[in-house]
Amino acid sequence: MNSCEKVRTQLAMLLYGELSFDEEEAVDRHLEGCAECRTALEQQRQLHLAFDQVEVEPPASLLWESRQRLQQQVAEERPPISSRRGWWDQLIDSLTLRPSGNGGWLKTAGALALLTIGFVGARMAPNLGPQISGMSLADAGAQRVRSVGPAANGGIQIVLDETRQRVVSGQLDDQNIQVLLLSAAKDPFDPGLRYETVGILNDRAQTSEVRDTLIYALEHDENAGVRLKAMDGLRPFVTQPEVRKALTGVLLSDGNPGMRTQAIDLLTQGLGESTNSLPGKALDLDRDIIGTLQELMNSENNAYVRQRGQRVLQLVNASAETY
Amino acid sequence: MAQTAGIQAEEKALIRAAQEGDQDAFGQLVRAYDKSVLRLAMNLLRSPEDAQDVYQEAFLRVYRNLNSFRFDCSFHTWLYRIVTNLCLDHMRKRKVRREGSSQIEGSDGPVDRMDTFQESRADGDPQRSLFSGELRQGIKKALSELTVRERMVFELRHYQGMKLRDIGETLGTTEEAAKNCLFRATQKMRVALGDFV
Repeated sequence: MNSCEKVRTQLAMLLYGELSFDEEEAVDRHLEGCAECRTALEQQRQLHLAFDQVEVEPPASLLWESRQRLQQQVAEERPPISSRRGWWDQLIDSLTLRPSGNGGWLKTAGALALLTIGFVGARMAPNLGPQISGMSLADAGAQRVRSVGPAANGGIQIVLDETRQRVVSGQLDDQNIQVLLLSAAKDPFDPGLRYETVGILNDRAQTSEVRDTLIYALEHDENAGVRLKAMDGLRPFVTQPEVRKALTGVLLSDGNPGMRTQAIDLLTQGLGESTNSLPGKALDLDRDIIGTLQELMNSENNAYVRQRGQRVLQLVNASAETY
Repeated sequence: MAQTAGIQAEEKALIRAAQEGDQDAFGQLVRAYDKSVLRLAMNLLRSPEDAQDVYQEAFLRVYRNLNSFRFDCSFHTWLYRIVTNLCLDHMRKRKVRREGSSQIEGSDGPVDRMDTFQESRADGDPQRSLFSGELRQGIKKALSELTVRERMVFELRHYQGMKLRDIGETLGTTEEAAKNCLFRATQKMRVALGDFV
């Protein structure tokens, strides 16, 4: 019979199913006759449940960024996986003018191969559709040659990367849809797309991941319309520290006076009422904001924003100077 | 069993295609494993930046060396060997630099920046009510006080759900050594957290 002390040390391994057959048998027999050890087993089970609670789930945006970075790095590393340097690889190097230690003859071979590909390509063109017809390798347009290689029938196989549209639909709760939306909200080229996307995300700002994206848009988007839209979405969460911090940043560094005015309104909303009901607490809570407003007064050039700021400072009986 | 065999065959085909330069096949392999790799790195290193570095380096190594993969072990084991080695390097360097903490200075004193990330199984769990913030901090502290190897084995067993045999294979040791490591880790955790439960 196992002693209680020994059994206690084996409970975690029992729960993991990592005791040997004999060990498990001995522990089970002991537990049948020992209420204290059964209680200890239950405590160990609770502890295991508690362990689960500290596991961190990486946000979808981090996963997405990681995939993007990896894709870029892999693209820079091409030609990739195969370390076999056969005649074909060397020929490709010569075609793409990659540095090669094999002298100039390969370039001649490469040029010959280019003619061959052109010939075979022209013969294949009718089957490939009008967009391929007449396309040269040097001018692929929306198509890009990813790789070329020998085909099974003795011809050439060319893999093309093509820009194509695809319609994806799903619910807002769908993780794939969310990942796409979070990506679209940061699209560097299309402010209209960002505006629409931020508008959709505003309805889902209760999740911290979406809020982070809205905060990112508020702080970094070059388009004031998108920033303003993001601020709208964050309005219900103005009491959250990260949102207040972002709004404080807008107040001090956003170049658009409309944005600064909105930030003042959001950061000080309800200030008058709470000052009446809970004066000490309200002033305490908003001391940072008062300091920020005083800092703003030192540098603000826009008369309207100054007026709004001064009005708030008067409301809380604070001076318009930095303390 | 038949389904597992089917998945294994599918993975094998993907690996072979990727070895022959099929970028899409490589992408599919990445997507099959990258979430759990990122989660492992994030939980071990408690820093999104370091986790992302490990992610990049691990998959780049896979990309560069996939041709030398000879199916002597499972792809999962091979990948995790790379990932765990990278994480162990990070953790050891950090121990040397005494930068084990992910705490940053907040307006109300030090806060753990990882607390801003979603904890995976918290929502909708009936046990949540039993779970106190104090216990959470206690667990984090106890985890941070494990040795680097104990921490790794505990992570792989408890959070990644790997069996000790696979953990041993991944870490280049025996199942018995991994078992001893897990045993020490769980004993330390039990002693450190015994008062909470």
